[in-house]
Order: sequence, then C-alpha cells, then structure tokens
Amino acid sequence: MGAAAGYGQLNLEEPATWGSRNIDCFQKLEQIGEGTYGQVYMARDNKTGEIVALKKIRMDNEKEGFPITAIREIKILKKLQHENVIRLKEIVTSTGPEADEQAKPDGDNKYKGNIYMVFEYMDHDLTGLADRPGLRFTIPQIKCYMKQLLTGLHYCHVNQVLHRDIKGSNLLIDNEGNLKLADFGLARSFSNDHNGNLTNRVITLWYRPPELLLGATKYGPAVDMWSVGCIFAELLQGKPVLPGKAEPEQLNKIFELCGTPDENNWPGVSKTPWYNKFKPTRPMKRRVREIFRHFDRHALDLLEKMLTLDPAQRISAKDALDAEYFWTDPLPCDPKSLPKYESSHEFQTKKKRQQQRANEEIAKRQKLQHPQQHSRLAPQMQSGQAHPPQWSGHNHHMNNSQPPISAGPGHHHYGKGRGPGGPSRYPPGGNPSGGYYADRGGQGGGFNSGPYPAQGRGPQGGVPTSGSRAGASGGYGVGPPNYPQGGQYGGSGAGRGSNPLPGNRNQQFGWQ
Amino acid sequence: MADFLTSTHRAKWIFPPQELKEKYKAANQRARQMLEKYGATRVEVDIDGSLSYPERQNEAKAEKHSRAKPLKTEEEHLIRAFYEFKIQDVCDAFKFPRKIQATALIYFKRFYLQWSVMEHHPKDIMLTCIYTACKAEENHVSAEELGKGIEQSHQMILNNEMIVLQSLGFDLIVYAPYRSLEGFVNDMEDYIRATDDQRQTLMALLETAKIEADKTMLTEAPLLFAPGQLALAALRRSNQVHGVLDFERYLRSILSRQQPVHTISELTTALNNIDSVVSKLATPTASDMKHIDRKLKSCRDPSSHDKSKKRKHRSKESPSQLHNMA
Repeated sequence: MGAAAGYGQLNLEEPATWGSRNIDCFQKLEQIGEGTYGQVYMARDNKTGEIVALKKIRMDNEKEGFPITAIREIKILKKLQHENVIRLKEIVTSTGPEADEQAKPDGDNKYKGNIYMVFEYMDHDLTGLADRPGLRFTIPQIKCYMKQLLTGLHYCHVNQVLHRDIKGSNLLIDNEGNLKLADFGLARSFSNDHNGNLTNRVITLWYRPPELLLGATKYGPAVDMWSVGCIFAELLQGKPVLPGKAEPEQLNKIFELCGTPDENNWPGVSKTPWYNKFKPTRPMKRRVREIFRHFDRHALDLLEKMLTLDPAQRISAKDALDAEYFWTDPLPCDPKSLPKYESSHEFQTKKKRQQQRANEEIAKRQKLQHPQQHSRLAPQMQSGQAHPPQWSGHNHHMNNSQPPISAGPGHHHYGKGRGPGGPSRYPPGGNPSGGYYADRGGQGGGFNSGPYPAQGRGPQGGVPTSGSRAGASGGYGVGPPNYPQGGQYGGSGAGRGSNPLPGNRNQQFGWQ
Repeated sequence: MADFLTSTHRAKWIFPPQELKEKYKAANQRARQMLEKYGATRVEVDIDGSLSYPERQNEAKAEKHSRAKPLKTEEEHLIRAFYEFKIQDVCDAFKFPRKIQATALIYFKRFYLQWSVMEHHPKDIMLTCIYTACKAEENHVSAEELGKGIEQSHQMILNNEMIVLQSLGFDLIVYAPYRSLEGFVNDMEDYIRATDDQRQTLMALLETAKIEADKTMLTEAPLLFAPGQLALAALRRSNQVHGVLDFERYLRSILSRQQPVHTISELTTALNNIDSVVSKLATPTASDMKHIDRKLKSCRDPSSHDKSKKRKHRSKESPSQLHNMA
C-alpha cells in the first residue's frame, strides 16, 4: 500500500467533471501581484488558450486546514454573478511541489499542494490606471466608472454581501472599459437580522469609515459606501483625499474634512466603543463643500451624501445611482467608448521587467516593515511628484484621446496588492510619449451609445417594496424561495432612466 | 439576484434518476476493478492531503486475498444510509442548527457520487463533511473540538478536507428545504387568510413538515429534486396529518401566481416521486451493518485480517461502537 499511483496507472477513468482540475491545465506566464493572501499570476489555459489570472490561496494555518477566509471568498464569488463583479471561473489544485517551486523543507503537517482561484483576466486596476503619467480621465469616464462601481456594489448589497475592502486597486478594469469589483478576501455575508458582531479591522485605512475607526462591530453596507465616496473624491481630485498614516490620524483627517461628529449630526456616536478615546478635542466645521469647491455641483452633492459621518444617513448604492450626477450632462459614457490602454504585462521590455522587479523588492521590504495590512503607512510623497488635480470638474476638457502610455510597474491587484503605502503609487517609470490613440468616439456630448440611456431619466420603475413577505410562488419549481431577496435588482441599468427588469418569475416575491 | 436559480446546486447537482444510478454504479465498478487488480480498495489520504492508491500485490499475495468480496451497490447504499443517520446524531449531539446538518448531508451525498465507500471510509468522510459544513455555514468548530467530542482523530478530519472540497468542486453553497418550508407556510397564512386558531395549526403543520424534511434529507431525494419541491412534498405529507388546507388547490394557486415552468400534473408527479423515495428510506439494522462492515473492512484493506496492531486500531471504526459515540 501507499505508492502514489494516479488514476492513469490504474487505467481507470479520470474523476468526473465536477472535481476540480489540476494546475497543470495552465501555464503560468508571469507574476502580476503579491498580497498578504498569496501570489497572483497571469496564466494561459492550455486547452483554450484563454488568458486568466491565478490567485494562490495560502495554506499557512495548518491547524484548521483550509482557511475559512478562502471558504468565504469562494462561497461569495460563486454566489455573485454580475458583469461588475469579477468572475471566479474555477478552482484548481496541485498536489506536491510545482515546477516553479523550490522544494521546501519538510517536517510540518501542512498541505503541500497549492490551491488557486482562477479568475477572468483583467488588464488594469483603477489606481494603476489613474496613476499613469499623463493620463487623464474625462468626466464621462469618471461617471462611467463610478456608475459601474455603484452598480456592482448595489448587486453585492442586494445579495447581502459586504465587500469591506473597496479601494482603487481592487477595482479591475478591462480594455472594454468594464469595471469589476475584485478581491472578496475580506467580504462577509450579512443579513438584516444578523445580530452577531463583525470585526472592525477591515477596509484599507484611507477608505475606512468613521464608524469602524470608532470601533463599531455592528455595521452594514454603509461601510462600503464611505469607501466609494473616498474613491469618488480621489478620482475628481487626482489624489487620495484622506491619506492617514495611522488610525488616530485617519479619524482626524476625516474630522477636518467632514467636521466632528456629535449627537446632533450622528445620533448614537457617543456610544461607539472608542468614542471617548478618539473624541475630538475641539469641534470642527464640515468643509467638504469648501475643500472641493472646484467640483461641479452635482458631483459635490453626491459626494456630500457619500461622505456622511452617520452611517444611517449615508447614501445607499441604489440611491447613489439615482443621483442627478449620473443623469445630467455630460452623461456617463459607454464603457466600450473608452480608450484602450496598453496592458501592463504584455510585450514588456527587459528593462521594464527589471524595473518591476526592483519595485517588487521595495514593496516586499515595505511589506516586511508594515505587515499589518490595515495599518499601512502612507506613501512617501516625494515633493513635486504628487499629481496636481487633474480634473477641474468642469466640462470643458473632455478630450478622450489619450496617448497610450506604456507600462509602468505592474498595476495588477487581484489580491491584496499594493496598499496605499506601495512605492508604485507614483510610478517612476513609464513612457509618456507615444502616438495618439485612435479616438473611439463617444465624446463631445454624444455619450448616448451603449447601455446607459442618454435620454435623461425615465420613470422611476416599479421597484417592489422590499420587506413585503410574499408568496411561496417564488419557487415551487426550479427556484425555491430559499434566500431572502431584498427586492429586485435591475441589471446594469438600475435606477432611473432604465426600467428595472420586470423581475423573472422567481424574483417577484421578495422573501424577507 | 443570486439565489437557487443561479446556483451551482441547480446547475450541477440535481440529476435525473438514471444518471444517479449510473454514477453509483461507476464508482462501485472502479472499486471492484481495483480490488481485482490490487487486492485492496482503500485510497489512503496522506497527511499532506495527497492520495495513495493500493499497490499491485505480488501474485501469491493477490491469490491469498482473492477471497475479499467487493460490496454490491445496494450494500454501499445501505452503509451510506447508516452514516447519514450518524451525521444527524453527531449534529444533534453538538446541537448544530438544521442548516449545518443539511449541508453536511448534501456534501456527503455529493462526495459519494464520485467515490465508492470502499475507497474512502464513510466514517472519515462523514466527520470531514460536518467539519466543512460548519466552516461554510459560519459556525466554525475547531477540528480538535469536533474530534474530541466524538473520540476521533482530528488529524484525519483535516487530512480529508482537501479531497472533500475537491470532490465537491468547491461548490459549497447548498440549498436545504427548510427555508422554503417557512416561506411556504408564511404564504399559506396569507392564502387562507388565517385566523389565530388557524395560525396555530399552521405552526404545527410547519413543525411536522420539518421532521418530514429531516427524513427527506436522509434519502437520495436532495440529489434528484429542487429544495422547493422537497419542501412542498414535506408540507403535503404534513398536511395529511393536520388537514389545514386543500393542498391541490394551494398548488394551483401557487402556479397561477407565476409563469409556471411546470404544469400542475408535472408538479404533482414530482411530489409523488419524492414521497415514494422518502417512503423507501432505508434504516439499516445493526446486523445488516455488522455484515457489510466486515465485508468493507476486508476489501478495503485485506491485510487487516492479520491479527496485527493495525487491526486493533481499525476495529474502533466498527458501527456498533459508533452507535455509542453520540
């Protein structure tokens, strides 16, 4: 007994189709990310030739076997199927060391094979794209990304999933202009009747809402909406707006921008666990409108609602999609009209590769210095390197023709990639020259192609009142009424201007 | 909306009866072949999670063990059924919620669509399925605690975790009929415009239906039918006891409120089929098990016949002992 013989040797059939495939089905091309979670590789499916991203699941804590965080992530990703959420294609495993691995000294009990999540490949992430020297997003482009972000997040929230790590590097963008939420490594399912406590040690510091900084352990979708507000402001401002170095400073920065919380603007704030510890020494006025006065009116209105201190009053993703901002000129453009940017991974010159390696080295060293992913330090902003505000907030500059910028350091982050502290925030490399990119149209006010209707707002479609306990008719047949549904979710065009889908037969009854 | 309709449960794990039979047959066939060639069927899961298959025995040895007889598919079915009862016992002993029990049962059923009990011992797989179900349903229990509670090695639970996850294709979200039960009963309340008295009866209807659903979960029905149908069948049986409403009219009313994918006769046929599967629920007796277990032991690992240390160790797995463990 005991020789490792495969099915092949036994001349028996391969395990049936529902078992997971082996990593040998893929050829690793290049490492494109490195996170607390594990490495991320770009790879090719040997059978189909398709390019995918492989995210390795670390199996460090052998005491409890397969990590529960990975179980959560897999469950959530398999549940969520939406064009603005990264698609988990499959899980593959390896038994024993792989070709590119050096044999590790044995002696411990842990699973020596590896497990990978296979994702659709995405060319960029939002932060990486925004950081390219010379690249400017247009207002319709920002609206387009924000709309997709909110649509994806609304879908998550309707499905009772909190993302809990919304930030630019977790928003992946492909060359069709599609934006997808990625990295659900910190995500959690929640239910409205959930009474359990959740950890407040989530969300990257710069994007962490005040309630978590004040120690709240009961919270909901509003935590993600704060992060969205931070990203929104960052897109308009051209740089992160709340770059705190540690938790107390982060709160201070929030107070300086949003004013100090009190029982008037945030009922219950004084009862948050760490309120007394962090309570502001002097009252400060809310200055959002002053600091971002150069933003256009509708952008500012929306931002105000996102960066609301009291989570109970903060705008929801659904309501944000209804904001004037997305329904006034210039309208969000069609994702397909966006310029295609050169991928950061293909056709890299040797030099760039070396540069990347050097950067990764630095990143690694920084990671060693700051192993806590939620208490990252701010980047060393070299003076003169910080981006000036790139977008004035007015509509006059809407040139969509961007010179394609060749790759800087890798910007791919399927995993917990570079945090705010990473050195690649302001990449030193990159080649700012280059020919003009063919204009893909969709500019000059004519942003009316594609899925987002340009004809202003349509009727507020019949969104069923959620909470109504309705019939079992949801599913005797193939669709049993199993999971509670918070009303219906209307595809990519949720909200105004597009009629929410009439709801298929199994969705018209909200199971609450 | 992500729900059963878009789930892997619906897409990949509900089979026509014939296909189910073929899967069981194929797994059994493979183990038989292994026994024929190698004189043993046991697939060892090593400490690192990798699998080891039996080695080819030398001729003489193979001759000696040629008396080991493989289990028949019916015997495999019986031993699986036995350990499914055990899953309920263990979950009850730990006071796990019904949802975990149902998830563990479905994992267990799915695992043995791919493997024969002759290859992986159901006692080990049962515990690993419970452990994994606890993780997946956010009710985490440490392997050690689980192992201790039932005097089994927690290392064995962990060793088997990868093979279980892989065999499940990492499809971890499963749908049990219990939520649907509550949904339907809520709907019935509206449908009959229940008075307070009737509400009481409906609660009794629900409780009986839950017990019916528990029974259903021990059969093959969850691999054959959607959870909503399992729920309706359980309610219909429960209604035969409580007589709360005209069930066929209620079914018609459900269908009339949606664009039906099924006609009333299709639905009724499905419910009848579920009832028939449930009525055939096998409850293995101790003597059945003694016989099968002996057979299982000899074909998994014929050398265990030798009065060796190994055998003593393995005798811990005997079902009579398991009976006492919960």
